[in-house]
Amino acid sequence: MKQNTFVLKSSPHFRDKDSVSKIMYTVVLSLIPAVIASVYFFRLKAVLIYITCVATCLATEAVFLKVRKKDLRSLWDGSAIITGMLLAMTLPPSLSLDLVIIGSVMAIALGKQVFGGLGYNVFNPALVGRAFLQLAFPVAMTTWIPPVTLNVNTATFATPLGNLKFQSSLTQGALIPLKDLFWGNVGGCLGETSAAALLLGALFLLFRRVIDWRIPAGVISSLILFTGAFWLAQPDSYASPLFHVLAGGLIIGAFFMATDMVTSPINPLGTWIYALGIGVLVGLIRLFGGFPEGVMFSILFMNTFVPLINRYTRPRILGERRGAS
Amino acid sequence: MPPKKSLGAEYLKGLWDENPVFRQLLGMCPTLAVTNAVINGFAMGLATAFVLILSSLVVSSIKKLIPSQVRIATYIVIIASFVTIADRFLAAFFPPISKALGPYVPLIVVNCIILGRQEAFSSKNSIGRSLVDALGMSTGFILALLVLSSIRELLGAGTFLSYQVLGSWFKPWIIMILPAGAFITLGVLLGLAILIETKTKTRSS
Amino acid sequence: MSLSARMIVVLTVVGLVSGSLLAVVGLLTKDRIEMNRQQEIQTAISQVIPSTKTSQKIYEDDSLTVYESRNESKNAVGYAVYTSGTGFQDIITLMYGTDPSLSNIKDLTILEQKETPGLGAKITDQEAFLRYWKNRNCEQPLSLRKPAVDSPENLDPSEVNTITGATISSEKVLDIVNASLERLKAIKEQGKLSSEEKNAS
Repeated sequence: MKQNTFVLKSSPHFRDKDSVSKIMYTVVLSLIPAVIASVYFFRLKAVLIYITCVATCLATEAVFLKVRKKDLRSLWDGSAIITGMLLAMTLPPSLSLDLVIIGSVMAIALGKQVFGGLGYNVFNPALVGRAFLQLAFPVAMTTWIPPVTLNVNTATFATPLGNLKFQSSLTQGALIPLKDLFWGNVGGCLGETSAAALLLGALFLLFRRVIDWRIPAGVISSLILFTGAFWLAQPDSYASPLFHVLAGGLIIGAFFMATDMVTSPINPLGTWIYALGIGVLVGLIRLFGGFPEGVMFSILFMNTFVPLINRYTRPRILGERRGAS
Repeated sequence: MPPKKSLGAEYLKGLWDENPVFRQLLGMCPTLAVTNAVINGFAMGLATAFVLILSSLVVSSIKKLIPSQVRIATYIVIIASFVTIADRFLAAFFPPISKALGPYVPLIVVNCIILGRQEAFSSKNSIGRSLVDALGMSTGFILALLVLSSIRELLGAGTFLSYQVLGSWFKPWIIMILPAGAFITLGVLLGLAILIETKTKTRSS
Repeated sequence: MSLSARMIVVLTVVGLVSGSLLAVVGLLTKDRIEMNRQQEIQTAISQVIPSTKTSQKIYEDDSLTVYESRNESKNAVGYAVYTSGTGFQDIITLMYGTDPSLSNIKDLTILEQKETPGLGAKITDQEAFLRYWKNRNCEQPLSLRKPAVDSPENLDPSEVNTITGATISSEKVLDIVNASLERLKAIKEQGKLSSEEKNAS
């Protein structure tokens, strides 16, 4: 070989300044408003759950990295911290800390490390942890306490969606005012109650282009269409679509969990399919299912379809003939 | 033909090397479905062992008579007869267990371990060898079900054979006695089995 | 022998042998299985109507079987109703005992269910569920107490308690009982609920 005019290199050809840990810490930052809101509403209990979750997730991750002889530095890439924070935000504030620990271990172990670690997991790890807890301790996971700010003196308390499901009629004060739902002055999981604080963080993520706007847009619009159809037909027996968007875990799910880069589709078309699927499933479970809330199961369910969606929405290679495989 | 193993090796292969559950991944339906309590897992193991051993004996003793075109049909009739006997017997003498196992006793008919052993072993080997093979496979199956059901009952209810083992501090993980717990436990155990297998292989080579 | 003849002979012989074997086993176990079933029902009857000495089937249709129970002095002390309906996951079969006027449920027992372990399956649990079913006034359809209370004294006489976390299973049991009670009252109105004619025969 006399001259090297062209140099052949394998991809990637373009490098972005983004790195895994930079993205992860952006997400951590975006969760801060919601964390502050939950500490405001649930006080010390919230702080304890956050600390327990993040610490246990980090510890579990460290154990797995050590056993699998991986670089321990990737412990600090931020992914375990996010899993811990997100898991904590989906837990009922009254949950005892030993169960919190079990959930965190399962989130990292079953949700992430058994698949081979970050990037290989099929399901959102935080939701795997929550699903495990939900099925393992169904009573503890559906026992709610009122936020401190509400000044009610009851040991247990129903979530807005729980009210909707288990009260016979909407007129019996089952509908919580939308204002309270928006600010988060209601019963529910730690970090899901305040739509305002979550949206603040979500805007930041959208602005920094860390999350794909199509996912929340698709989830929310399909849920609005689904629940809206029933509401328009029978406003007396179905809650308004706005109520469904603001109540429960929809906002946190649509913006922070469904958007997990590893477990969501790659292409725009696939992303729309995935997001619309989640929205419709949430509506189905909430209106007709046995559970009052369906965000967790919907996201996990659509997670399983992501590889399939990716396969069928693969863009045509330039010059490839239609129909040729 | 590979050289004949000793009878001891023929028995032992069912325990680990060719363990029906952990190595061959056969009989998953009862493995997942009835291991929510040790007593159920054990009863299922025994019922399957009964069917497997007797079917192997019968098939290996009439193997020369069966035309190969209808061998599967013949095996199934033989297996189904023993399954029905086991089912009636349980219903007559152990009604609570029969109730707990529900449709899974009749479903032993389609347990691949049993048909698999007839096709792969009893139809080609002597009665004695087939008996030893069936005993080994049964032991392996029972052991696998015991391991699985012990873990699930212990974590899912805090009990072992219905005796409270874990103290009142323990909050039962209900998921473990649900189907999801069966899949999780089996998955973890299969992972461990492969880990042990690769570890021992690399050491011996 | 040709191949097809051999195939037919072998299959026929195997079929005949196993058929006759099964017939023998079926004969040997039939009585015992039937006895187990009877015994289960007997136990259930004396559980839901404790003063039962003898009992007799007086009505049976697709969805409900009624046993009349008599005490030692041969007086009718109530009806034991064996019925089933859909639960949260699968059919729930249960039995409850009433007084002869069908105005009071003495007790309830669950015979078969496949509800979620640890949750809906608590319908078989004395502490969590069954103790709230003792002595219920059932002149009107029973209703469910939500949210749950922690002692039978806190319930109205026509109320039963909910299992925390398993509202649907509790509701299903209630629905099964209410539906069968309604039918039972209609049957009694029509005068079909008497043991006299059967006693004579």
